[in-house]
Amino acid sequence: MKDNYKVIENRELQEKLYHYRFYPGLDLYILPKPGYQKKYAVFSTRFGSIDNRFRMKSEQEVTELPDGVAHFLEHKLFEDQYGNAFDRFAALGASSNAFTSFTQTSYLFSCTANFEQSLNHLLDFVQDPYFTEKTVKKEQGIIAQEIKMYEDHPHWRVFFNLLAGLYRKHPVRNDIAGTLESISRIGPDLLYSCYNTFYHPSNMALFIVGDLVPEQVSRQVAENLNGRNYQPLEEIVRIFPQEPAAINCERKVQELVVSEPIIFVGFKDTVVENLQGRDLMRREILMELILEILFGSSEKLYNELYGENLIDENFGADYTAEINYGYAMIGGETRDPDQLYERIMKAVAKIKKSGVNTEQFERHRRKVLGNYIRRFNSLEFIANNFLAYRFRDNDLFELPAILQEIRRCEAVNVIEENLDPTRHAVSLVVPSG
Amino acid sequence: MQADYLLYYLPNKIKLIFIPTKKFKTFSIGLFLHQELNQDLAALNALLPAVLEQGSRLYPDKLTLQRKLENLYGADLAADILKSGERHIQAFIYESAHDKYLGENGTLLQEGMSVLGSVVGDPLLEDDGFKEDYVNQEKIQLKKDIKALLNNKAAYAYERCMALMCLDEKFGTYKLGRIEDYDRIDAKKLYRYYREIFSENPLDIYVVGDLQEQQVLQLAGEAFNFVRKTDPKSLPRVDIELPVKEVQFHEEEMAVNQANMVLGFRTYTGYGDERYCSLLVYNGILGAFPHSKMFVKVREEAGLAYHVHSRLERHKGLMFISAGINYNCYRQARDIIDRQLDDMIAGKISDTELDNTKRGLVNRLSSQQDSPTQLISFHLDGTIGGKTYTAGELIEGIETVSRKEIKAVAEKIKLDTVYLLRPREGGS
Repeated sequence: MKDNYKVIENRELQEKLYHYRFYPGLDLYILPKPGYQKKYAVFSTRFGSIDNRFRMKSEQEVTELPDGVAHFLEHKLFEDQYGNAFDRFAALGASSNAFTSFTQTSYLFSCTANFEQSLNHLLDFVQDPYFTEKTVKKEQGIIAQEIKMYEDHPHWRVFFNLLAGLYRKHPVRNDIAGTLESISRIGPDLLYSCYNTFYHPSNMALFIVGDLVPEQVSRQVAENLNGRNYQPLEEIVRIFPQEPAAINCERKVQELVVSEPIIFVGFKDTVVENLQGRDLMRREILMELILEILFGSSEKLYNELYGENLIDENFGADYTAEINYGYAMIGGETRDPDQLYERIMKAVAKIKKSGVNTEQFERHRRKVLGNYIRRFNSLEFIANNFLAYRFRDNDLFELPAILQEIRRCEAVNVIEENLDPTRHAVSLVVPSG
Repeated sequence: MQADYLLYYLPNKIKLIFIPTKKFKTFSIGLFLHQELNQDLAALNALLPAVLEQGSRLYPDKLTLQRKLENLYGADLAADILKSGERHIQAFIYESAHDKYLGENGTLLQEGMSVLGSVVGDPLLEDDGFKEDYVNQEKIQLKKDIKALLNNKAAYAYERCMALMCLDEKFGTYKLGRIEDYDRIDAKKLYRYYREIFSENPLDIYVVGDLQEQQVLQLAGEAFNFVRKTDPKSLPRVDIELPVKEVQFHEEEMAVNQANMVLGFRTYTGYGDERYCSLLVYNGILGAFPHSKMFVKVREEAGLAYHVHSRLERHKGLMFISAGINYNCYRQARDIIDRQLDDMIAGKISDTELDNTKRGLVNRLSSQQDSPTQLISFHLDGTIGGKTYTAGELIEGIETVSRKEIKAVAEKIKLDTVYLLRPREGGS
């Protein structure tokens, strides 16, 4: 096969990324990391928990999925007619795992020996589904325990309760693993049909990082794909409900066994669905800077709240921007959720008037750059994040450039749009009994 | 292959370990102050790093300190308390992006050393004590943290099992101590304690990164120049010999959906022991991997659990098996687990299980060389365990473990305590 690739260079990081594209549409990225013993590969498909309604472009029929299918499929793909994919990795001395998020499912391994065989195994088991009534049934028991574990997990509950408060219809409001009821409706036929749609190479990407020679690795991947007889896949049309701008429910409260109440305040973002590519990433970087300026540990508010014992070190804020949803989230454990809520809302109102000063903006900009560079120590960070960005048409390597481009004056507008008090919700977990 | 390290002693006899390597984007400085673990000192040990981290003479509050770190490209300074075997270790870890990725002219190491030196060696004082506000504030935060253990049910169950099993041993001490002990600490007492242990107790500094040896030594000597006694205090050896008289069973009810079971074992094999590699292999076959007996039998075959594994407390010679299950499946899960333990003693271990485990352990060890913090922890384990292995030695040790040696380890292992966190009766 003729090599078709380009090299992307990042001057800040002093890294070179090799990008290959193979028929019928698989993207392969290889980042050489001289001196590392470990090699890491992640094979991801753009199929997450939110992809629960879709049709093929030429067809009328819409498939609707019970919640938790992407996650269930992730669990089941590890099993084939010969046994368990974990075992083959284990025989090679590789460590393997997988995870499902709102927007993607990823299969991965890391190893310090037998890289070629491990890579082939990753490619093989992900491209070779095997589901039976019996194995699906057994998995329902395992996933039921996983769901129960999360039901007892207060930070997980406060997070999903907040999403359910912010969203009326968008599937991001549902748990990734689904419910005990929804997983009982999942059978082998459904898994095969989803597999055949979403696990086509044109809907997938592969990232490999370590002390590797790109030409060799790319050849191996090309050979693995050859002879699998892939036909081009027509476009998958993902159907999302029309989500109203308004939130669903202002306040959700759940009782659990916790030492102190936990509060999350969320702001629903209604602008992000109109943004694409670089604009989306620019918005994300700006929002993260703004949230740090508002709630970060180097700012007055955090230190006042900490001094009054209203928060602990885990208090923080976070922003998520995806292609058709986005939200900012602020909170943590507190002795007095009402007071903490008041202070958060006051701070948001205040920054709208006072804006952001140059010293703050530049200081946080330096911090974001330094953190970004530090994270490039981790092969897992690089690979996982690169693909997550890639699936929303962004390039992780562009972060330093965009970071330098953004201007303080843009902040005012973004605060106005993304931290709108008419679109906020509160989620609380309080001690039971 | 493993990264080489260089060992020095600063003029005040602090041990400095420098690991030169070009592969990271960062440099790291870790400072570890060792103390023995015991109930009476635990709260003091936990409180000290938390207070020091609030501010120093040069950076008198968190705001000033954090802003300084942000201007150093978001360098991270983490103060923490670690429990490892019967040692209680205060850890201060500074990590910064390396100058060469920032177009800086090589001053970041000096800045980092000086910030860390200031936080640990030149604290903010008032009236012969630490700043009272900080001490009171951190006492409240730590008492909250102790209570917050409850929020993570699996971690809570694990800590409860350890505490109940080692009730009469130093190891039974929770790393944050007891809530009531904080009320007996004030700013002056804590400062006296600080003076004492920073002068007497073993203290190691680690530096990792693409740095010049001479510069590292010189800057460390300047930054950590506090007065120390010439011979650091020697700490008691960990006791791993306590016999099991009778298996204890503890059950606790809570309004939860899932039951969490933790089984505590004594292995009578420590870190420096010649059987240590055999224990690693034993634990690997039993429950440290997705190919291990626990995962395969309890999860994959019986479908009873999502998380089920065994892990070692390597410096205390303990092993814990944990699983999250339906309460009504407890007996079934226990039976499966007990059978696996019997099989280990009977030597019912397949070649695949043995080989895969050895490869998996070697992979983990080799992978540690790719993270600055794991490189440091690996060396630190040698200090704690009183025996320094190179990664190569451990790898060789693992590869040569025989079935006979695994059996010998298995025969010594004794179940001591069963702890079960169960859903409230009549609840979900």
